[in-house]
Amino acid sequence: MYGWIWRHLPGNTWVKALISLVLALTVVFILFQYVFPWAEPLLPFNDVTVDQGMAAVR
Amino acid sequence: MTQRGGTTVRRIVRTLSEICVTAGALIVLFVVYLLFWTGVRADSAMDGEIGRLQDRWSTGPVTAPARPPAPGGRTAPAARPRAYPPGASFAVMYIPRLGADWAKPVLEGTAPDVLKRGLGHYDRTAHLGQLGNFSVAGHRRTYGDPFKDFPRLRPGDAVVLTDGTTWFTYRIDNRPYTTLPGDIGVIDPVPPKSGFHGPGRYLTLTTCEPEWGHSHRLIAWAHLDSTQPAARGRPSALSS
Repeated sequence: MYGWIWRHLPGNTWVKALISLVLALTVVFILFQYVFPWAEPLLPFNDVTVDQGMAAVR
Repeated sequence: MTQRGGTTVRRIVRTLSEICVTAGALIVLFVVYLLFWTGVRADSAMDGEIGRLQDRWSTGPVTAPARPPAPGGRTAPAARPRAYPPGASFAVMYIPRLGADWAKPVLEGTAPDVLKRGLGHYDRTAHLGQLGNFSVAGHRRTYGDPFKDFPRLRPGDAVVLTDGTTWFTYRIDNRPYTTLPGDIGVIDPVPPKSGFHGPGRYLTLTTCEPEWGHSHRLIAWAHLDSTQPAARGRPSALSS
């Protein structure tokens, strides 16, 4: 997978390394900005109230 | 094994290990996000909320604008305050037990996006200093860990709040009480298990229990001990 990407990047080794770094940073940015904020509410750390989903009851 | 068969096996093994390494890196990044990045974001959001509040309190008049007279000529009861705007901060809470510099904004509402920017006031509960139960929820872990040291609260500890005009000093009445997530009675005007009898000016703090879980809730109750105008400076509970 990574070998395939490396082989398909243009330029010499230095250009490939630079493009790889940019790609990796882009992936990390997308994860922190969009993917993790979406996944985080699926974990229990947000449940700090005693009436979640019970607002309609009272 | 033929040459071609060996290549195929090698490719499968390599791809599998690459997927495993990727999944591991993803999990490590997610942990970094939860433990570190949410805290960075929440701390700056909370500092921003407190800064905005202090700007507002130092510039404009902080008393509520006069309400229009109620239709029918009946004057509205003076004790009935204006509703807090949803999602906006309206007070700052200080708990010396949780740290001398522990100060968090209190926002209206307990939706997850509100709790990312500070503590959340249950919008159906009493207003600050009013008769009833002023109830506040906060994160135990992640998003700045505001209530990380919640179990260290002890009877007599001060919970000090200011809304820009008045300092309210509440005193904790119980050791943190563990209950189930659906126990909404704890934020009743007179919570049944709090040991309070009859109406009063109470405060309830809620967070999750255990520290990283969501199976229970941790509750602390307090009563209003004293108030003083903001013009007279910080209350003694904060300077000791």
